[in-house]
Amino acid sequence: MKDFVVEKPVDLLPGLPEFNGRENRAMSLVWCIIRPESLEPVKQALTEVELIGGMTITDVRGFGRQKGSTEHYRGEPYTIRFVPKVRLEVAVASEDVNTVMTAVHRSACTGQVGDGKVFVLNLPTTMRIRTGERGVGAL
Amino acid sequence: MKLISCIIRPDKLDVVVDALDKQHVVGMTVTDVRGFGRQKGQVEHYRGGEYTIRFIPKVRLDVVVQDQDVETILTTVGKVAKTGNVGDGKVFVIDVPNAMRIRTGEKGTSAL
Repeated sequence: MKDFVVEKPVDLLPGLPEFNGRENRAMSLVWCIIRPESLEPVKQALTEVELIGGMTITDVRGFGRQKGSTEHYRGEPYTIRFVPKVRLEVAVASEDVNTVMTAVHRSACTGQVGDGKVFVLNLPTTMRIRTGERGVGAL
Repeated sequence: MKLISCIIRPDKLDVVVDALDKQHVVGMTVTDVRGFGRQKGQVEHYRGGEYTIRFIPKVRLDVVVQDQDVETILTTVGKVAKTGNVGDGKVFVIDVPNAMRIRTGEKGTSAL
């Protein structure tokens, strides 16, 4: 079997200008850890906000300050250390982050422990693979 | 705040979580991932022929902490997740400009 070989990166679409007027806007990656049942409402709320081009979902496990949850089975309590959650990742222009956070809060909040958290990460560069465009135009 | 993203061996998960618990880390997220590093996977032998597994199961442990706690966490994970063999994993530190607790709407370090 052939060994894994890293090919030299080719210059994709060499004629494409690397920067257009929107390129220099800062971007953020918003990571939302939410309950699995909140996925549909949050997806709906973010689509209505119209600031996002798409999202990525990952099934994860985790816990917060409560360190898991206590369930009961046949009268006996047992602790689940890692509770199933969903991580929803959205890349947006940094100026839209507050709108996105408000939309997530409104749709994912039940008021109960275990609702989740949102983390905002810096996104220095993005690229659309199909066309090679960079920056906000890739979102 | 910083996101500490650790790619570790699956069998090290419980040990690392216990060690982080002693450091008063108040939450984490775990994802099952597959990956490889410089060794580009393991070389296995089957019926006398060599074949390369490119993607090896790992666990990704994500913790968000305050900036002053980053070094402590890195040292803890480094000590506890290590076996000395190829495939121990890596830790990445990513900047987190903002965070929010969904239940209450609190932002910033009080969200942690």
